[in-house]
Amino acid sequence: MAADNGPIARETVAIRRADGESRTLAASLPRLVLEARRIAANVIHGLHGRRRAGSGESFWQYRRFVSGEPSQNVDWRRSARDDHLYVREQEWEAAHTVWIWPDRSPSMAFASRQARESKLERSLIVAFALAELLVSGGERVGIPGLMPPTASRNVIDKMAQAMLHDDAQRLSLPPSFVPSSLAEIVVLGDFWSPIAEIRTMLAGLSASGAHGTLVQIVDPAEETFPYSGRIEFVEPEGFGAITAGRAESWTADYTTRLALHRDQIRDETNRLDWLFTTHSTDRSAAELLLFLHAGMTASKLGIRSSTIKVGPAA
Amino acid sequence: MMGLPLAFTEPLLLIGLVSLPVLWWLLRVMPPRPRRIEFPPTRLLFDIAPKEETPSRTPWWLTALRLLAAALVIFAAAGPIWNPQTGIAGSKAPLLIMFDDGWSAAANWDTRIKAADELIANADNDRRAIALVPLSEPNRDITLMPAGAARVALRQITPKAYSVDRVETLPAIERFLKATGDCEIAWLSDGVDTGRGEEFVQGLGKTIGDRSLTVFEGGTSAPLALVAAENAAAKMTVKVLRTDSGITAGTVRALDQKGSPIGEARYAFGPQDKDTEAAFDLPVELRNDITRLEIAGERSAGAVQLLDKRWRRRAIGIVSGATSETAQPLLAPTFYLTRALAPFADVRLADKGSPQQGITQFLDQKLPMIILADVGTVAPEIRDRLNAWVDQGGVLVRFAGPRLAQAEDDLVPVKLRKGGRTLGGSLTWEKPQHLANFTADAPFAGVPVPKDVTVSRQVLAEPNAALAAKSWASLEDGTPLVTGEHRGKGLVSLFHVSADMRWSDLPMSGTFVEMLRRIVDMSGYTSKPGAGVAGEANAETVAPLHILDGFGAFGPPPATAKPVSSDYRDRATPDHPPGFYGPADGPLAVNTLAAADRIAPLNTASLRARHATYTNAEPRDLRGWLLSSALILFLIDAMIVALLGGGLAALIRRRAAPAVLAIGLALAATFSPSPSRADAVSDDFALKAVSQTRLAYVVTGNADVDSIVKAGMAGLTLFLAQRTALEAGDPVGVDPARDELAFFPLIYWPIVPGAPKPPRDAINKIDAYMKQGGTVIFDTRDAVEAPPGENGASQTPAMQTLREILSSLDVPELEPVPREHVLTKTFYLLRDFPGRFSTGQTWVETLPREDDDESAQRPARGGDGVSPIIITSNDLAGAWAIRPDGQPMLPLTPGEPRQREFAFRAGVNIVMYTLTGNYKADQVHAPALIERLGQ
Repeated sequence: MAADNGPIARETVAIRRADGESRTLAASLPRLVLEARRIAANVIHGLHGRRRAGSGESFWQYRRFVSGEPSQNVDWRRSARDDHLYVREQEWEAAHTVWIWPDRSPSMAFASRQARESKLERSLIVAFALAELLVSGGERVGIPGLMPPTASRNVIDKMAQAMLHDDAQRLSLPPSFVPSSLAEIVVLGDFWSPIAEIRTMLAGLSASGAHGTLVQIVDPAEETFPYSGRIEFVEPEGFGAITAGRAESWTADYTTRLALHRDQIRDETNRLDWLFTTHSTDRSAAELLLFLHAGMTASKLGIRSSTIKVGPAA
Repeated sequence: MMGLPLAFTEPLLLIGLVSLPVLWWLLRVMPPRPRRIEFPPTRLLFDIAPKEETPSRTPWWLTALRLLAAALVIFAAAGPIWNPQTGIAGSKAPLLIMFDDGWSAAANWDTRIKAADELIANADNDRRAIALVPLSEPNRDITLMPAGAARVALRQITPKAYSVDRVETLPAIERFLKATGDCEIAWLSDGVDTGRGEEFVQGLGKTIGDRSLTVFEGGTSAPLALVAAENAAAKMTVKVLRTDSGITAGTVRALDQKGSPIGEARYAFGPQDKDTEAAFDLPVELRNDITRLEIAGERSAGAVQLLDKRWRRRAIGIVSGATSETAQPLLAPTFYLTRALAPFADVRLADKGSPQQGITQFLDQKLPMIILADVGTVAPEIRDRLNAWVDQGGVLVRFAGPRLAQAEDDLVPVKLRKGGRTLGGSLTWEKPQHLANFTADAPFAGVPVPKDVTVSRQVLAEPNAALAAKSWASLEDGTPLVTGEHRGKGLVSLFHVSADMRWSDLPMSGTFVEMLRRIVDMSGYTSKPGAGVAGEANAETVAPLHILDGFGAFGPPPATAKPVSSDYRDRATPDHPPGFYGPADGPLAVNTLAAADRIAPLNTASLRARHATYTNAEPRDLRGWLLSSALILFLIDAMIVALLGGGLAALIRRRAAPAVLAIGLALAATFSPSPSRADAVSDDFALKAVSQTRLAYVVTGNADVDSIVKAGMAGLTLFLAQRTALEAGDPVGVDPARDELAFFPLIYWPIVPGAPKPPRDAINKIDAYMKQGGTVIFDTRDAVEAPPGENGASQTPAMQTLREILSSLDVPELEPVPREHVLTKTFYLLRDFPGRFSTGQTWVETLPREDDDESAQRPARGGDGVSPIIITSNDLAGAWAIRPDGQPMLPLTPGEPRQREFAFRAGVNIVMYTLTGNYKADQVHAPALIERLGQ
């Protein structure tokens, strides 16, 4: 209980703080309007008109009142101009679904001294802020396995509530689910799992044709390996420990290994036409949010070919 | 323990040291614990092959360090004590403490008293009775006392100034032991055998039988002694004795009658020497003033050698055959002789009627040299005595004259022709003769020959073969002028001219003085021990005048001191303690040791006894030292571990630049204060000092003294503001080495006994300050501690410290403040200058002598300037010191009603004196000046 209590309590605190911070962050960004990635006739992204009548907010057309319709549909102002009754039809607007997965596993609680906040906090802030932006842009946001997609105005509260009441095991990678082929997936995590697991995860998520972004949130210490002396490194999720006699001599090997790991992930995402970026917690959260914002609004085709990196060049 | 003065209160805890090997093993097998860090990408690290394995074992030196720290902790727990109290382990039997209290014990008296105190304290703890036996008092009954009474009795024992014969106390000890039965004995020995030491040791061994005996000896420096002072021809020599090879060199100091130092002489012992010699190479005039020789730093009567007239100038008796010399002194031969001999000899004139009586008198006085000026016939019995005296070493110098020319005796070196020879007279054709060169191997060799001396008349020697050998000086024509001959140990010499101006003008020349000096220097007949001529029955006795105590300080004679005969030459005894006897102007010196005495180490090895050593040091608990050093070791260990663990490396890498910079800056600020800052400080000081008149005092570094002096100067400042026009600022504490002194009219310098001498540049600054008109009050603050006696005040520790300081200052001649000194009249009319004490003397620079009557009548005299130095021992500041609430800080001694008032008045006068100089002395002239102005 007590052992369990630590990470949970930490997560609770992180959620509370991220709640407040993400709101200010989200408020500072312009309304996020997603561009349609692919314009399909029957697919209308979010607030983008589907060029047919339906439920929506913007005017589409007036049509003659058809008998049998509820009388409340009649647009009386227009009908008063001539002898016919008219019904005001709105353009059909359908919401785009974005799945956001903030990694809340114990490894995310790591924060070195150079970092402003823990990786968990950063990922939650970004997740909440992104959700708030998306919802205010009319999209639906969900957390795989935790919260069904919702367009509710108080999405942050809902997400926070869902996380606080989540008593399942904190997994590093999102559970395998099948998003709709047009859904966007944003995975915020540290991706320290073996590359095979990451490949499996990506394969599962992209099986339906969905696209998304992997954001590797790392602590600066994990980039630069600023350790020296005799140190026992412990994997926080219980995957073992290793003792380094003189940790400073491991730095070069570590950075090489880290670059290799990232290249492997990037190869995979490139193959699947996903985005991959890294973000270090000593940088501002707004940077990452801007990147995600840009990545979702701009044409992804252009971006994907070039690697966009956020954070210090590692 | 094992020769070291080390003991443990809980020795059993030392068994804990056995655990060290176990600890060693544990420390060896345990590697240093790594830092544990949660690191999410650890799984990446799994793929990195470890490059090298750190040694899993602790380095051996780290283990040794830890073991050492652990051992220190164990030692500390055992309660180690350095210099443990050497107690007598505890039976319940009474304790007999035998106490050496001769002069040889005085040098380390305090150590002995302390050892006795500890013994008494231990005995008190065990509720044992104590008997205290000072070995100098054979007649005292030995009684058992409780510890309190024993302590009081111990305090009453003072070292005796003479050699104690321990053997004489043995019967009393024996009686006591018989009466008491079981008894434990401690002998606080001084380790010096001044005679009969072996006998005492054997007697003691027999007396105590199988009782337990502890002999305390060693652990202190063995005493030194002075014997056999001798005023030899060229220098004063004195023998320094020692018993062991502890002290190898030192200084013997010569003092005159007033106690002021005349000279110092070094002595040095060879590796095995028991005695050595110190020689004062001083002019004879100075040597003659020496009345006391003492070994510097040695406090015992044995280290003092008193000299009286016997050691001084060679007394020379002059007997003249003429009768009318008193009427026309310039015609008398004694006049020239007295003048010529006075610089280096003590001339005595025969005051009895005839020459025969005069010779007898001088022979009785055992003078080393007698001059017979134109004494003709000498009675046969006197001639025999003179001959005997010459044989013993007397120097007889005769001058020719009409009477000698007619007489005939054998007290001349050469056979004389009857009648004289006249040169250049009206009936002679020869001219008065000049002197020829002095014979090279004669005593006058090297004396310049005067060209203007002529001899007009002389007595002639019968020419014979030996004449040339006996001629010390001759005239140009070869006739002898001075002849001389050694007889026995003595010498007979004849001037072939008269000692007056009638026969030659030799007595008026400087050469005459030089010739006489040569002869006097040859008179080796100084005082000789043993019965002399005066040792006969009619020898007068002289009463004690000043008596040395055991520490070698003069004091009034004790009631037990008996008069000695005026030819007393033996060593001092209980009845005749060392010191001066007889009249103050020509006292007789009695010394602790006779010239032939030697001292030897006391051999107590034959005694069946425990041997203990005096410990000079306080017992010291070593726990604090051990624990703190263990702590330091642990800190070092922690630092090493941090270094090994890389923690420090990380720290340095991260914080290196700022930390190094900060440390560097701190060091720079600490060790090299920038000049601008120092300038600013001294500028502040100068501004503060000159913005108001301020009294200054020297900060001694002793917090008690400094606070009292500060309060005292503040009190005086307040008093000055209340009573005078001087409203001075707050007093300033100065450091003569650092601060500029020129701003202060007056600096009060309290002397702390044993304070180190100020550094050279501080002394120079003080000197310059005094030269430029400043006044320094040196206050030794110890008038009550001064031992009695006329120079007791100069024997206190503070006075010694003051002397140390003054020894490198150019101090003018000092005198006690005379009644008419302007210092007594500058503001109040004062008689003396009391402080907390009123017995101390106040010294100022000696006023210039003014012999004329007019100035002697003046009510006030001041010198040209202000006395640069005022020395007092009355603790002025102590009397001035007031608490913040205005109440006096310290009580006064003796506490006469207005003593504090007078102390303040003395302070006012001193301040006014330093501020106004001799203005008040000039005030004397004011009426005359005003009168003159009116006209």
